Amino acid sequence: MAAHVQFSDVENCAEQMRVQKKVLIVDDSPAQVKLIQGLLEPEGYWPVGLNDPRRVEEAIATERPNLILLDVVMPERNGFQVCRELKSNTEFNSIPVILVTSKDTASDRYWGQQQGADGYVTKPFTREELLRAVRRFA
Amino acid sequence: MRNTNVLILTDDVEFARLLTACWQVERQLPGICVVTSEFWKEADTSSPDLIVVGPLKDGKLADVLRSMESNTALILCAPSEAKELALLRKKYPKLLHVPLREDWTQVVLLLAGESLRRTEALKLARKAERHAAQYANEATLGRYMYDMKHNMNNALTSLLGNAELLLLEPGGLSAQSLAQIKTIHTMALRINEVMQRFSSLASELREGETQSQVETEEVNSTPNSRR
Repeated sequence: MAAHVQFSDVENCAEQMRVQKKVLIVDDSPAQVKLIQGLLEPEGYWPVGLNDPRRVEEAIATERPNLILLDVVMPERNGFQVCRELKSNTEFNSIPVILVTSKDTASDRYWGQQQGADGYVTKPFTREELLRAVRRFA
Repeated sequence: MRNTNVLILTDDVEFARLLTACWQVERQLPGICVVTSEFWKEADTSSPDLIVVGPLKDGKLADVLRSMESNTALILCAPSEAKELALLRKKYPKLLHVPLREDWTQVVLLLAGESLRRTEALKLARKAERHAAQYANEATLGRYMYDMKHNMNNALTSLLGNAELLLLEPGGLSAQSLAQIKTIHTMALRINEVMQRFSSLASELREGETQSQVETEEVNSTPNSRR
């Protein structure tokens, strides 16, 4: 049976895409990704999850996010590395990056800043803390 | 040499008096205890760092030496009898022989000083080894705690976040479930506070350590610092 898609649905979807800000969540833990998605969705954001930090560039090229939430402690490629590489790439360096990590010392924050991160949220965070950081950029 | 003990074992009162008197004019004086061969076994010598054996009654030397531990540092002040000394040296590798000549007190003090300094250095080295082992254990514990902190924070993020998500739509929950989720949320926040207190304590300890290190380096680098 063919699916009937009404013109108004397509229009709504296009409208939604125009209004909603897309947030790419990069975290090796699916539970954390799901949680952040759950926290952002009710606020009108369009969260997209990615568990493999090696595929960040590919995901950005496909999704064109307005903001990236990046975990730091990840296997294969840590968040500091990802951030540094994104910020040195002219194609991606205009996208704000917020590091979302359990690394909470002053030196970690400083190092994150040195890698070009635009924001820093330490885990565990409250819903308000996360939203406050996200709203600064999207 | 302040923390070292010397036992003078002799039946010759003049030997003990002279040696003690010479030691007392030295800059650093160890703890000195004098015993005769008669009370040697009964005396509480509390494991001396060095034993100076002076003239003893006939036949007592062999008895006395037999009852000593072979690893005790020993200075024997006696007329040289090559045959007997060779045997004693074999049994007591740390034995030093000082012939009873005119300058024997100076020689004894010199040898004793070196021996006690060595003992003291060994004590310090052992203490440093003990501390190093203790610090290594603490470092392992610290690393473990640091790793655990990361896992704990991740777990707390899920706990706190999911509780908040459920509390966003309280309509679908029974009053009891709502109260239980609120409790979970409150407890997660409390654990978070405890974790943050641990973190700030660790930072304070690190800062204190750095500060004391800086002060120590400053004192050591001051040319006129009192030693």
